[in-house]
Amino acid sequence: MDEKAKRTRELLASFYSTDHSAGGGAGVGSAASPRKMASPDSINSPSFDPDVYMSLLVQKLNLEGLLQKHVEMAAEIKNLDTDLQMLVYENYNKFINATDTIKRMKNNIVGMEANMEQLLAKITSVQSKSDLVNTSLFEKREHIEKLHRTRNLLRKVQFIYDLPTRLAKCIKAEAYADAVRFFIGSKPIFEAYGDSSFQDCKRASEEAIDLVIKNLEAKIYSDSEPIEARAEAVVLLKQLNFPVDSLKTKLLEKLEDYLMTLQDEHKETGASALDTLETSEPSDIGKLSDTILSLKTPTGTHMVSVGEISKIIRAYLIIFPDSERRLIELIQELFTKRYGIIERRVKERMTSADILKMIRVIWEDVTLMDEVLAEAALPAFSLEAARSIIRQFISTSFSHLLLEVSEALTKSQPMPKKGSEESSLQNALEGSKKVVIQGSLDLLLEFRQLLDDNLELLAKLRDLIVDWVQEGFQGFFQKLDERFLALCGKGYIANPDSSVIDAIQVDKVQTGLVLVLAQLSVFIEQIAIPRIMEEIAASFSGGGARGYEHGPAFVPGEICRIFRSAGERFLLLYINMKTQKISILLKKRFTTPNWIKHKEPREVHMFVDLLLQELEAVGIEVRQILPQGLVRRHRHSDSTGSTNSSRSNATREDKLTRTNTQRVRSQFLESHLAKLFEQKMEIFTKVQYTQESVISTIIKFCLKSLQEFVRLQTFNRSGFQQIQLDIEFLKNPLKEFVDDDAAIDFLLKEVIGAAHERCLDPIPLEAPILDKLISTKISKSREESQSSSLA
Amino acid sequence: GRIPSSFPLTQTVKRSVVLHNQRLTAVFLCRRVTMRGASTGIVYGGLKYQARSIADVKADTDHTSFLAGTLSLKEENEVHLIRLSPPGSELVCEGLFYHPNEIWDLKSCPFNPRIFSTVYTSGETYGASVWQIPELNSQSNAPQLEHLISLNEHSFKIKCVLWWPSGKHDKLISIDEGNLFLWSIDTSNKMAKVISQESVGMLHNLSGGAWDPHDRNAVAGICDSSLEFWDLRTMKKTSSIEQAHARDVDYNPKKQHLLVTAEDVSGIRLWDLRRPKCPVKELPGHAHWTWAVRHNPEYDELILSAGTDSTVNLWLAHPPGANDSMSESPVDSPKRPKDSLLNSYTDYEDSVYGLAWSTREPSVFASLSYDGRVVVESVKSYIRRK
Repeated sequence: MDEKAKRTRELLASFYSTDHSAGGGAGVGSAASPRKMASPDSINSPSFDPDVYMSLLVQKLNLEGLLQKHVEMAAEIKNLDTDLQMLVYENYNKFINATDTIKRMKNNIVGMEANMEQLLAKITSVQSKSDLVNTSLFEKREHIEKLHRTRNLLRKVQFIYDLPTRLAKCIKAEAYADAVRFFIGSKPIFEAYGDSSFQDCKRASEEAIDLVIKNLEAKIYSDSEPIEARAEAVVLLKQLNFPVDSLKTKLLEKLEDYLMTLQDEHKETGASALDTLETSEPSDIGKLSDTILSLKTPTGTHMVSVGEISKIIRAYLIIFPDSERRLIELIQELFTKRYGIIERRVKERMTSADILKMIRVIWEDVTLMDEVLAEAALPAFSLEAARSIIRQFISTSFSHLLLEVSEALTKSQPMPKKGSEESSLQNALEGSKKVVIQGSLDLLLEFRQLLDDNLELLAKLRDLIVDWVQEGFQGFFQKLDERFLALCGKGYIANPDSSVIDAIQVDKVQTGLVLVLAQLSVFIEQIAIPRIMEEIAASFSGGGARGYEHGPAFVPGEICRIFRSAGERFLLLYINMKTQKISILLKKRFTTPNWIKHKEPREVHMFVDLLLQELEAVGIEVRQILPQGLVRRHRHSDSTGSTNSSRSNATREDKLTRTNTQRVRSQFLESHLAKLFEQKMEIFTKVQYTQESVISTIIKFCLKSLQEFVRLQTFNRSGFQQIQLDIEFLKNPLKEFVDDDAAIDFLLKEVIGAAHERCLDPIPLEAPILDKLISTKISKSREESQSSSLA
Repeated sequence: GRIPSSFPLTQTVKRSVVLHNQRLTAVFLCRRVTMRGASTGIVYGGLKYQARSIADVKADTDHTSFLAGTLSLKEENEVHLIRLSPPGSELVCEGLFYHPNEIWDLKSCPFNPRIFSTVYTSGETYGASVWQIPELNSQSNAPQLEHLISLNEHSFKIKCVLWWPSGKHDKLISIDEGNLFLWSIDTSNKMAKVISQESVGMLHNLSGGAWDPHDRNAVAGICDSSLEFWDLRTMKKTSSIEQAHARDVDYNPKKQHLLVTAEDVSGIRLWDLRRPKCPVKELPGHAHWTWAVRHNPEYDELILSAGTDSTVNLWLAHPPGANDSMSESPVDSPKRPKDSLLNSYTDYEDSVYGLAWSTREPSVFASLSYDGRVVVESVKSYIRRK
């Protein structure tokens, strides 16, 4: 039993996988002692130990349990046995089937060999028969082939003999393509036999083909032929090994000459236009530019338009596809020269309309040409050209404006004649104001035209134009400021590196001009810049081609600041120039006499006349340029002069009696106390752009200078009295100029005080003498003015 | 006990108060002060009369001191030795000396603190002398100045005396309206003799000058409408700056060839003598005449100017070449330091004629207005700012 079980187990193990062999073995080995481990499955494990299982089972279960287990196991074993039997029967059945199949196969193979042998015999017989047929037909076939070749040859010979007539026919019909084809077809034969059998024939053919070539050549040169025909002719000629290249160069040279003459005509007309420009009115420029730029020359001899050139080029392109590069060069040259003419013209003053017209004419030609010769990249080329032209145009416009402004300023310099001087400064101011504002607005209008134009070329430049215009204005005003400085003889400061100083010497600068500049600067700051800013914002905003980080090119705030400070500077300069002039007068007055040995005063010194004359001149200039101040004191008319002087004489008398008693003692302290509270506030106030402010500033400065000059001298009594007399006299005329009586009084008092300090023996003139001398002077000057007005 | 008690009672009522109690001054002048902003300077009111001349006592290395001389036609004139007290808070009169005539120019000897020169007039007479301050141990309130040398070769009105600013040198220059004199002086033996003399002719009118601190043979003279330069060895003109109506001229103490002028119309102008055709720089100067102009002895870009508009202005003006500004574009170069008015000292009641930096303390300057007030200001805050 053990033996049998073991064999069965091994068989099963070989049939199933090794895993199952153990399990199977365990399952089969019912006698094997069961081992109880963690799970009941362990009975299937390969390491199953029946003894352990048994002992575990015994230990664990009671009798009843053991019996139950026994029953279970017996049932399992029985089941497994049945399964085993089933498997054995199944396998046996399969084996029997296989044996049957093998037996059947053996029987079927036996008849096959005979059939094969039969087949072989048949095939052999078919092959022998086929060989037989082949040999019998061979001779005939060879003959046929020979005959066929001969026939072909004969046909060719016939063709060649016919060739001349055929070619002639072709020429007649102008079917040159056929002629060339025929000729080329027969060429190998001519080459082989041309010297012998077909000599005549060859000659005739060649003559015919020469005629063909000639005709083709004529066709190519003839402009009236359709382009396709001409192109075909070139192809045919090329096939005939005709030197086409030389033909091409010849044709291109022709075109080149043609373009050259065109350009020459441009140049001539351009030059003549420029000549006439100088003599003719600006309104003619437009007309002239028309004639210059459209290719119709005034003489009309050539009457060639770009359209025709483009046609020619189109033809050439088709005729000689490899001539493109040369053509591009030619055309680019043509347009470079044409743009060059405009660029030269732009340096003159032109209107946008002119520029636009010129660019438009060329642009039309460019588009026309571009259709034909896109490879020439003419639009890009034109864009570049237009860019530089417009840039040049904008900058030229600004420099012209700059020139106009300075002309307006300098043209109407004060004339030597007094009458014209009255209004000339005003004219200069009004003229230059107008030029600045109107010129700027006109320029903007001009540039607007550039922007508003629908020309495709300009649309691409829009942003750039906006930037250029803004930059232009920025640069224009900066340059204007520098120009102003130069006009005042201060130019070298703005340009210190220039080795040549051509700035006008300060002495030669017209003071009136400085005043005009001051007021013009104010005008630019307050009126012109805001106005221009508005215009720019309205139609020249955007741009931005220069990048946002830079901000807009036109910075009105900066320009305003420049001109605000420029205005103040010019106003101060004017005052300085005037005070300097008077200062020289005063210096002469005070350094010339020996004050310590001065003689008793007999009359008011004549320097007061000069001083008043200077102030009068200032008044004339200032009244032309500057507005009146808001607070205007009542101005004494000339007719009331006498009463005025008597009235002020009375007040002065009061003052004199008072001062005569007190002055000597308290003058020093008094003046110092006065200074303490008055001086700085009164004298050195900020100058305003009004007539009164400027005149009073000048007078205050002069009186201050007077005081300083007095302080540098030492006086004897008479010298002091002379000063006293002069100052006393000045009091009223000065007040005619200035509404600030208190300041004048104070400053005059300062002068007398200074003289008093610097006097060895300061005893003032008696009031009656003072009055008498002053009234003598007044009547004398009145007489003089009367006599001068009579004369 | 340094101040004489016998002040004449004119303007000096206020002054004596000022001297003893500065705070009282502030009360007295409160209206002015509130209107012009607080004053920062230290005021010395000891000068009793008008005055034009103040000089830094350069040779005094122990103290910051100044010499000021009065200009009074009728009263007895004085020279005050003023010292800035060590904490820098007070001006003390260290010595008061009577001077026989009114003083138009006063210069301190650069190598001896006790020696100085004056130019003076008296009526029609004029003169220039070198003086020595006596030893200060005596009890006298107003000891006599020791008269060392008279520079009496002049036939025109004397304008100024120049010491060579850079140290010990036995020469002295005196300028009158028509002549330039070079003197050899010997202070110990009280000797002076003219080495050479140059007459500028009647057409020109000399009014002042400056001695080049970099070249003891070069001197600048102020003519009517130009600045003339002489070589002292040959006494010939070397060059000139035309179109300069200068009132004052000062050489740059640090850089040769550079100088600054003060002019009535053009304000302050900086020049490079190698290119005398046009100024290197212009500063607006003063509302009225710019009377005096001085470089700071240490920080040469600080320029001080005094004007007849009763102000002293402190300017920052970078001399060219210091930062290669010549090669840069002159306009709109943001990196280039701006020349500017740093401060305007307005605490004056009259024209300011006298101006002196302290060599010992370069951040301090003294100014003298015509009414005799000495104001010492510190510019320290502006130096630090650089």
